Amino acid sequence: MPLRKPWTVWDDSVSSKSIPGAMGVYELADEHQQLLYIGKAGGRSPFGIRGELFRHFSTSERLAAENWTHPRMGEDLPAIAGRARYFRYEVNHQYYSRWIELLTRHNEDYGTLPPANLQDPEQPPRLGRYHWKSEGL
Amino acid sequence: MDFQLSEEQQLIIQTVRRFIRDEIRPLEADLDPDAYELPEAEYERLVAMTREMGLYQMEVPVEFGGPGVDIVTRTLVAEELSQHRAGLYDAAYGVFGDSPPAQLYACTPAQREKYLDPFLRGERHAFFGLSEPSGGSDPARAIQTRGVRDGDDWVINGGKLWTSHADTSDFGVLYVRTDPTKGRQGITAFIVDTDTPGFQVARLVQVLRAHYTTELTFTDMRVPHENILGEEGGGFALANDQLARNRIPYAAACTGIAVWSNELAVDWAKQRVTFGEPLANRQAIQWMLVDNEIDIRSGRWAALQAADLSQRGEPFRFESSMAKLLCTEGAGRVIDRCMQIFGGLGMSKDLPLERFYREVRIRRIGEGPSEVQRIVMARDILNVRSGS
Ligand SMILES: Cc1cc2nc3c(=O)[nH]c(=O)nc-3n(C[C@H](O)[C@H](O)[C@H](O)COP(=O)(O)OP(=O)(O)OC[C@H]3O[C@@H](n4cnc5c(N)ncnc54)[C@H](O)[C@@H]3O)c2cc1C
Repeated sequence: MPLRKPWTVWDDSVSSKSIPGAMGVYELADEHQQLLYIGKAGGRSPFGIRGELFRHFSTSERLAAENWTHPRMGEDLPAIAGRARYFRYEVNHQYYSRWIELLTRHNEDYGTLPPANLQDPEQPPRLGRYHWKSEGL
Repeated sequence: MDFQLSEEQQLIIQTVRRFIRDEIRPLEADLDPDAYELPEAEYERLVAMTREMGLYQMEVPVEFGGPGVDIVTRTLVAEELSQHRAGLYDAAYGVFGDSPPAQLYACTPAQREKYLDPFLRGERHAFFGLSEPSGGSDPARAIQTRGVRDGDDWVINGGKLWTSHADTSDFGVLYVRTDPTKGRQGITAFIVDTDTPGFQVARLVQVLRAHYTTELTFTDMRVPHENILGEEGGGFALANDQLARNRIPYAAACTGIAVWSNELAVDWAKQRVTFGEPLANRQAIQWMLVDNEIDIRSGRWAALQAADLSQRGEPFRFESSMAKLLCTEGAGRVIDRCMQIFGGLGMSKDLPLERFYREVRIRRIGEGPSEVQRIVMARDILNVRSGS
């Protein structure tokens, strides 16, 4: 099942307290709401979904002003850096298999992974097939 | 009765133990805590090592090209292989080779060439599709997926639930009702290619463990008659012994994660000081460790006894059910106690315990739930046969 939540635009009003520090999956999209990246906040992610979204969208200065930092700040993938505009997420303890489910669905529908996932050093395990495409494709 | 391991068994166990400690566990430090596959380069490197060691595809019978490792040794090895974070379901990340669904060993020469041999060479992957939404404990009555003969083909309609790995497989063994008037004898096993028109993965089903299962649908799926595995109507007669035998290393793998969890807990109990004394000095903790040891050893001996009977060609179905029950339930208790001894750390993803806890729970359901194992044993005790 794809993530069905509506996209939220990222701007400076997004407060770190409003994003859960839990494990889960998230998606990033460009200004046209075209999917760029399917990510996970896994068991080794230092601030869960909050940390992952802030490292993609925010700046070290803002985090420092709020007295926190993320070890992967500034490491964004070329397909995300400067292009990501929208996000959505799902808190999910089974983040790993849910991440693979979202990637499998995308791969089946479009024949490829989202652009930033193709650049990601962490590649998923071998993805399966559904043998059918999502409605409307 | 000889409880002494042979020199060869000791050598194999030591080799596998070292391999898990030196090659697999260090890699896990950099993997996601829920990962179930290795990066390809590491996988290839380690497969080359297990081939070199002569231990690749230990479970494959010698007549199908395996090294011919006996069932007692495989049971001992299964206990070693699972002793890492992903070890219960993905022992050594598959670098010792995957096993096909046991029924596939009943294949014809043509089926062997097309399906079994490519599987054993690692070129094709397979699933096992028995359980349906209507129930998995009693599949002989529950199966509703229907096959109707049409010339040289069978037309299959229906669906399966909980089918692991179907989305990443090239083919699978599918249980289909081909004669609704014959009960158990009306079920036939087919080999089905996943690219057959009408075969669909309806959804990935998320469960407790890191890996998901699938729900499948079949709509007017045409499968050639030659893809029947074994006899028409003989689906349940297939590889029954092989299945009961496979249950033994399956059980021993649970003991393996219990052993490693307990080792971690013993070390921790000696180090961790509370109220001025190490935890190990407290009777409450000592008793937990003793209970762990009792669960571990009773599971281990039950599995080894079942393996020994099977190796000697004696009836072993009761013992294999008992081993499955003792090992799966005992390991659950051990891991739970170890988590208690670790306190907060036991709940965290810093340790493998939380993953074991989730995964071992599934083992009381998969491969025949505990209740079904008890039914098998009760039948044996009361000497009654299954009704239909
Ligand atoms: C993660 C996972 C992976 C799986 N992978 C596969 C797979 O690859 N292929 C496949 O075919 N199946 C697979 N299964 C299915 C599994 O084999 C079934 O879930 C199992 O056989 C139980 O069937 P059920 O879930 O339909 O429960 P049911 O049959 O509905 O039983 C429900 C409960 O009632 C108990 N019960 C049943 N009958 C009795 C009785 N007479 N007396 C007392 N208690 C009873 C059962 O033990 C169980 O606890 C998988 C399941 C899981 C969770």
